[in-house]
Amino acid sequence: MADARFRLGGERAERPKGIPMIRSAVGGLLAVLALAVPARPAGTDIVPFPVRIDKLENGLKIVSIPLAHPDIVAYYTIVRSGSRNEIEPGKSGFAHFFEHMMFKGTRQTPKAAYDEFLTRLGAGTNGFTSDDYTCYSIVFAGQENLETVVKTEADRFINLATATDTIKTEAPVIEGEYNAGAADPRRRLIELLRDTAYSVHPYKHTTLGFLKDIQDMPNQFEYSMLYKKRFYAPDNTILLVAGDFDPARLKALVQKYYGGWEQSNYALVTPVEPIQAEPRRAHYPWPTRTLPRLAIGFHGPAYSDASGDKAALDLMAEIAFSSFSPLYQRLVNKEQKCLSLGASFADTRDPSLLVFNAVIKSAADLPYVEKEILKELERIKVEPVPPKILADVKSHLRYSMAAALGTTDGLAGTLAFYVSLAGDPGTLNKLFDLYDRTTSQNIQDAARKYFRAANSTTVTLAEGSGQ
Amino acid sequence: MNRLLAGVLGAGLLLLLGSPAACKRVNPAGLTMELLPVPDDPLVAFRILIKIGSADDPSNREGLAQLTWSLLADGGSRTRTIDEITRAFYPLAGGLALSMDKEMAVFSGTIHKDNLERYYGILRDMLLDPGFREDDFNRLKTDQADFIDKSLVGTMDESLGKEILNLMMYDGHPYGHHEAGTAESTVGLTLDEAKAFYRENFVQGNIVIGLAGGYPADFPKRVESDFANALPAGFTPRMILPTPRKPRGLEFVLAEKPTRATAISMGFPIRLTKADKDYFALWIAGAHFGEHRQSLSWLYQKIREERGLNYGDYAYIDHFVQGRDKFPAPDHARQQQVFSIWIRPVNNENRHFVIRQALRELKKLVVEGIPEDRFEMVRTYLLNYIRLYPQTLEERLGWQMESHYYGLEDFLAQARAVLPRLSRADVNAAIRKYLDPDNVLVAVVTQNADALKAALAADAPSPVRYANPNMPREILEEDAIIQAYPLNVKAEAVRIAPAAEFFHKRGLPAR
Repeated sequence: MADARFRLGGERAERPKGIPMIRSAVGGLLAVLALAVPARPAGTDIVPFPVRIDKLENGLKIVSIPLAHPDIVAYYTIVRSGSRNEIEPGKSGFAHFFEHMMFKGTRQTPKAAYDEFLTRLGAGTNGFTSDDYTCYSIVFAGQENLETVVKTEADRFINLATATDTIKTEAPVIEGEYNAGAADPRRRLIELLRDTAYSVHPYKHTTLGFLKDIQDMPNQFEYSMLYKKRFYAPDNTILLVAGDFDPARLKALVQKYYGGWEQSNYALVTPVEPIQAEPRRAHYPWPTRTLPRLAIGFHGPAYSDASGDKAALDLMAEIAFSSFSPLYQRLVNKEQKCLSLGASFADTRDPSLLVFNAVIKSAADLPYVEKEILKELERIKVEPVPPKILADVKSHLRYSMAAALGTTDGLAGTLAFYVSLAGDPGTLNKLFDLYDRTTSQNIQDAARKYFRAANSTTVTLAEGSGQ
Repeated sequence: MNRLLAGVLGAGLLLLLGSPAACKRVNPAGLTMELLPVPDDPLVAFRILIKIGSADDPSNREGLAQLTWSLLADGGSRTRTIDEITRAFYPLAGGLALSMDKEMAVFSGTIHKDNLERYYGILRDMLLDPGFREDDFNRLKTDQADFIDKSLVGTMDESLGKEILNLMMYDGHPYGHHEAGTAESTVGLTLDEAKAFYRENFVQGNIVIGLAGGYPADFPKRVESDFANALPAGFTPRMILPTPRKPRGLEFVLAEKPTRATAISMGFPIRLTKADKDYFALWIAGAHFGEHRQSLSWLYQKIREERGLNYGDYAYIDHFVQGRDKFPAPDHARQQQVFSIWIRPVNNENRHFVIRQALRELKKLVVEGIPEDRFEMVRTYLLNYIRLYPQTLEERLGWQMESHYYGLEDFLAQARAVLPRLSRADVNAAIRKYLDPDNVLVAVVTQNADALKAALAADAPSPVRYANPNMPREILEEDAIIQAYPLNVKAEAVRIAPAAEFFHKRGLPAR
């Protein structure tokens, strides 16, 4: 559940920076629901919209969500390939790199013509890559533009023109993207955590990839052809369209323009991460002023809408580490040792890390904060969660999800994420059913199973030589 | 803060807007209500705007406005601590966000109408009966000082460049410090000062209460009455701002620190806001030259797409804050505006080349104007793109409030009416009238600043390095012109200071 809309990747997906926006610690529902999504009571579907699913013979799946909100259509292309697919040495970051290449045009619609098409459409466009998928969105006004969008996007995905020189010019842009975040200690800490916690699984690197691999991208023309053949295929792609349109017409248009796209039939085998046998630790000395940072990761389960562990851990993260938790209120508000404290349990196709993180006001308090986080994890294993707290968290998750589904684009983007995980937006209803059924005992059991010292990786970052 | 005058604003005003239901009204004490009822919507959005921002900080008390408003948003009310409020809001997924700017701040939140009473009761006390506890004050003051002293200077190079550009533009001007203040001023602020600042400024005539969505019909009256009963009448007259200094030629400030890449911002104050009739013509020029994070941006095409020199390059004809997705966030309005260019980090060895390239493109824009084919395409783009701006209740309400700040009935509706009537000549006239490519301020965050200064002062050639050995001939031919493009920078117009010395005190560090 956590990080459901976490986006990494191209310029189009970057988070705002340098904005003098102060978000109150009284966090919560900050987005607004133009679509008037009701917060559904427990026991009813969290996705209250009719969803139609079609599949072409070549395997391309179409998820259609017609909405009453007028004028706007969100057109999402979900390629189920991300960092997870970068299994060969030296190829980290390639999913993201290929996302950039997807904007380079085709013979029929060269790059300049594609840019002009999007410009005249006045579309909100986005492309981003994450651990498990790469996503391309076009949000536009006026369903009269639907056929042009389907036609142009089908041509782009089927007939992308890639040339050696194009790759050599675009590859340094990735290094530019890396450079844009180079001053940010958050990214360095995540890189360090992943690199330390994983030994063989591709989640070892971030979506951008290792710097040495980024710098070698100009030489990777042949591999880019192989990558396209393997993963940019209808049997690895889902179209998700939400908004003001007719699903039957959409299906006919998709059949017409995507029907000739050839299947890949490539079977990806990702390396299995061996069970971690002892605690790991790493530190990064930051060369300029910064607040100290701490992250503690435990290997956890993959996303599942059927097995209870992940749902129990999602609830646990909120109960013990969100702004309403006793630990947060003590460390942030009362003792004022931390600027922030939180938990980030990413939903991923393969098992990934359960991460607790803190930004600390003084490096001298790093050991204390680490000890308090670990103490809290031990407490969760033995102390039942009060029923009211459990009910509050379930309520919070429902209202928060209703907020995420509140605009045409928000709904499409959120569902695209879950579709990328499970192939079907119905997974979200199953997930919330699981939350409803999760008990205090489930949470204690999951905590005992995963929060073991031998399963942990602790990374810190502080000014100078640090600890 | 002596500009506060007791008084009333005369009779109530009712201004009907584009939507028959949307309206603005002002009570006799000056409290303004901006209403956007959407009866079928299950949500209610609040945007409570206070027309007091960092420009209103008293002398040597920079950061006081932000700290005071933060205490309201994140410091608890007299009846509830911040922890109790968090626990009450949590099951509702409710919250109260604060955005700060030079002349205003906005408290915003959205709640399901089932929870409206509970939410509003808490929010009302947070704003009208704040707790002002010493503990909360110390926590928020430390966070604000740490942001300035550690995060901005140590870990946010691009933001640092933008904020240094602001210092360069507004030296000695009420806009001339960061909203969070300086490291020195913030540490010196006291709780008593925050209380006094609240009492003096959180008065009816300074407040605009925005409500949108499915609230009950009598709700606005109740909110209005609560604020009117709790707060004194009075208002702070709109600040009379001095004219910002015009740059003399090209002026550089180089903030030196270890960097993998160089962050660059440049620009100058501009005599135009959304209230001016020329705004729409210059808007087309700005979108053509550097539309925010769109491939439409000319600079993006020249620097990133053709040459792969960085991650993106954009330009703005007024102060831009990104809201949802890549759209502008409303309610960051200002009386005085800026033109700016944002060059995302470039490899250190290409920094001189890219500075030259951006300044040359600006000069070409002014001399040659917008190309005919681009003019028509950009106008079509804007007419379609702005249809996506107001998608949420808060956005619709925000654009309504921003329109009224500038004395417009409906900015977006006016854009739809005016843009189709403009000609390329109108756009080029606006470019020539408002953009001056020869007098520009440039802020650079980089290492080895002495070498850059020497290269700038000598107008030394600045060849560019590419990974691609087969760059197209037309690019290389243009590069040969760019690398020798004369900037005529005087050595005394290039100031260097260690990055760590910025934002300790007001203004730029001593030379």
